[in-house]
Amino acid sequence: MLSAADDRMVAGRAIDGDIAAFEVLVRRYTPMMCAYARRVLGAGADVDDVVQEAFVTAWQRLSELEDPAAVKSWLMRVVGRKAMDRVRSRRPVIDIDEIDHPAPSHRGPVDAVETRAEVEALSAALAELPEPQRQSWVLREIGGLSYEEVASEMGIAATTVRGLLARARKHIIVRMEEWR
Amino acid sequence: MNDGRLPIGLDPGDLDGHTIEELTDYLDAGRTPTDLSIEESPGCVLALDALERLRALTPELIARDEAAEPEPDAGWIQSILSGIAMDARSGRRIPLAAPDEWSDLAITEGAVRGLIRAAENVFPGILIGRCRLHGDVTDQDAVIGVEVEVSVPFGEPIAQLAERLREEIAQRLSAHTRLAVEAIDITVHDITHWAEGAR
Repeated sequence: MLSAADDRMVAGRAIDGDIAAFEVLVRRYTPMMCAYARRVLGAGADVDDVVQEAFVTAWQRLSELEDPAAVKSWLMRVVGRKAMDRVRSRRPVIDIDEIDHPAPSHRGPVDAVETRAEVEALSAALAELPEPQRQSWVLREIGGLSYEEVASEMGIAATTVRGLLARARKHIIVRMEEWR
Repeated sequence: MNDGRLPIGLDPGDLDGHTIEELTDYLDAGRTPTDLSIEESPGCVLALDALERLRALTPELIARDEAAEPEPDAGWIQSILSGIAMDARSGRRIPLAAPDEWSDLAITEGAVRGLIRAAENVFPGILIGRCRLHGDVTDQDAVIGVEVEVSVPFGEPIAQLAERLREEIAQRLSAHTRLAVEAIDITVHDITHWAEGAR
């Protein structure tokens, strides 16, 4: 029954020290957190350790979660931070690459049937971005962080983040047009 | 490749002097206040369409990625649970009646919360959520208050259920602690429609 309860209930109990409730959170959000960490770290990354570390930290810091109903986005923040720790440990200096793209072509109106193929195209376009661009896009669009928060996670200026995001968006849009 | 569609350009030259950053900010602001230099620029409108489409696809990408992840296996979950400090949530130390004057006996606040939560087992369909102990529980003479959040099953009279739950909690606390409980406040934050066989 606890496994069917809402986040506010489950996280509230976990804050109070109920391990069974915490286990429900682990089961509920592991796939989401693994997927997010994989997007931050890139294909082939070992995300299991990152997500495990995120849960251990989450348990230690649960009392800081003011709104138990917001546990999902809070866990996303924790795992995003762990993933960026991993990025920093494997490559200390962020190298901001600029890429030029061939001229794109515009597409017609949105068709629901195309969505699946488009999502695949988005996935592939994302995967080929240079790391800083991909990370900034993933932290912003999947992690839901503000520009300032992305900047702080990446250890760069917010204006740099805006530039990275603009390049990431251009690249994704152009590639998606090409694959159409 | 280009089947007659207009080519999309995303540089300021294609966007009548605007940039992708500006267009993203404009979208973030819900396209208000209306900026005619953007809305009347064919290049900007194409770029806005593409940015909006990208934004609409992002939740689909998240759902796809999540669905592609395997369910966590039992061993993996266990390694997390065995790695977390069980005492991290233990809270304050609440004195108990000692068997003699040389002994010092106490129960943790976390254990008392567990005791309160266990009262839900008596009432099918009730779940106890957050549970707070107000007052100085470390002082054995202090008067304290208990505050719990609950969800109750649909269809049962809430006031009666809450009263019975309150009695059950009071009885458990008096049986297992020496806390002087002045009030037990129950807040129903959710009414749940459990599916058949959910319990």
